[in-house]
Amino acid sequence: MNAPDRYERFVVPEGTKKVSYERDTKIVNAGSFTIEREDHTIGNILRMQLHRDPNVLFAGYKLPHPLQYKILVRVHTANQSTPTQAYTQAINDLDKELENLKQAFEDEKIRYEERPKQGY
Amino acid sequence: MERAAGGVSYQRFPRVRIRELKDDYAKFELRDTDASMANALRRVMIAEVPTVAIDLVEIEVNSSVLNDEFIAHRLGLIPLTSAAAMAMRFSRDCDACDGDGSCEYCSVEFHLAARATDSDQTLEVTSNDLRSTDPKVCPVDQARAYQHALGGTEPFDTAAAADQRGILIVKLRRGQELRLRAIARKGIGKDHAKWSPAATVTFMYEPEIRINEELMETLTLEEKRNLVESSPTKVFNIDPNTQQLYQVVVEDAEAYTYDDEVIKKADAMGKPGLIEINAKEDSFIFTVETTGAITAYELIMNAITVLRQKLDAVRLQDDDADLGELGAHLVGG
Repeated sequence: MNAPDRYERFVVPEGTKKVSYERDTKIVNAGSFTIEREDHTIGNILRMQLHRDPNVLFAGYKLPHPLQYKILVRVHTANQSTPTQAYTQAINDLDKELENLKQAFEDEKIRYEERPKQGY
Repeated sequence: MERAAGGVSYQRFPRVRIRELKDDYAKFELRDTDASMANALRRVMIAEVPTVAIDLVEIEVNSSVLNDEFIAHRLGLIPLTSAAAMAMRFSRDCDACDGDGSCEYCSVEFHLAARATDSDQTLEVTSNDLRSTDPKVCPVDQARAYQHALGGTEPFDTAAAADQRGILIVKLRRGQELRLRAIARKGIGKDHAKWSPAATVTFMYEPEIRINEELMETLTLEEKRNLVESSPTKVFNIDPNTQQLYQVVVEDAEAYTYDDEVIKKADAMGKPGLIEINAKEDSFIFTVETTGAITAYELIMNAITVLRQKLDAVRLQDDDADLGELGAHLVGG
């Protein structure tokens, strides 16, 4: 039949870039990132992390169509920053947060397993 | 104002507290982060943590009542032990083979041969009849039975361990036969639900319940009882220790389903503001349950790893960044 292959949803086609940035033609320090083969998982954490940056004046994402496997992340920043800077910073911060979370889980597992021995 | 280029970080430091941790079940609290992170973890656990599942079936003989594709589908849904899945390759990017199951890096072969010969009894073909070529990957109940036989620690519920009949694939009548070769591959739940390691993953906002004690004291005992009863789940109770005062206390805040029934009741009683309930926006209670393919702890850890890999994949490449900077200079001057 004519159903598209299931892997179309998460495999970036050859010759396509995973992330591309397009600068806004009318507004300074604004633009949108097109991320191929990603969805709300990445879109929403990126948007929320961008909101934590006071230089970011606007950050939003959309999934334009459920059968187009890409998201658009639009960022507008103050003059002190640029969308690419804010975007990279957001990813770095999220990555560090997750690294931290992983460590927290490992520590907590040790604590959890030691607990009965202490007669707690 | 500091420049973001200087690497000003807006990072958060989430805290975790495990309440319960079993092999296939975990309950924990996640604090100091937001709903987007909690939801990203939930979504990754369900759809993007890899496992191994049967994907290709070559049927040699099938004289059972079920057709070939029906059996192939049932085989796919059997959870296989997937602790090694993170280190395995997806067969689509495996260069050691052409994805036909001939290579140890991306696939595991299974064989099944069953024939109902004796008497009038129907033969039940189950996941226990599957023979794996790799001891690391086998149906989860086989692994469980093996551990049980070793006399090792019994990680799963004893009630579940007592039931070691395996997962039913098909029933054979006398003379019927099923013989096949199956290839299991690594995959993710986004591709097909058979690859999802999660049975359920949920999180809820931790509720914060405040009782206006001053207003509460104006209620009669009957009114208090009605108020406690108005909640469909047992969130409140009348404190048995303060028998003379009949104080209304929060018995189990987490039983609250955000149904607003007690608040409506308080309003109807003409006491608005008697009870206030807020969802804490940075505190979540997770429950994670797995199919047994990987442990709940592995699922959580793998989800964090997968999410980090995803984030790493969406970083701007150097040429994009340069272009962006240049563009900003040209416009911003």
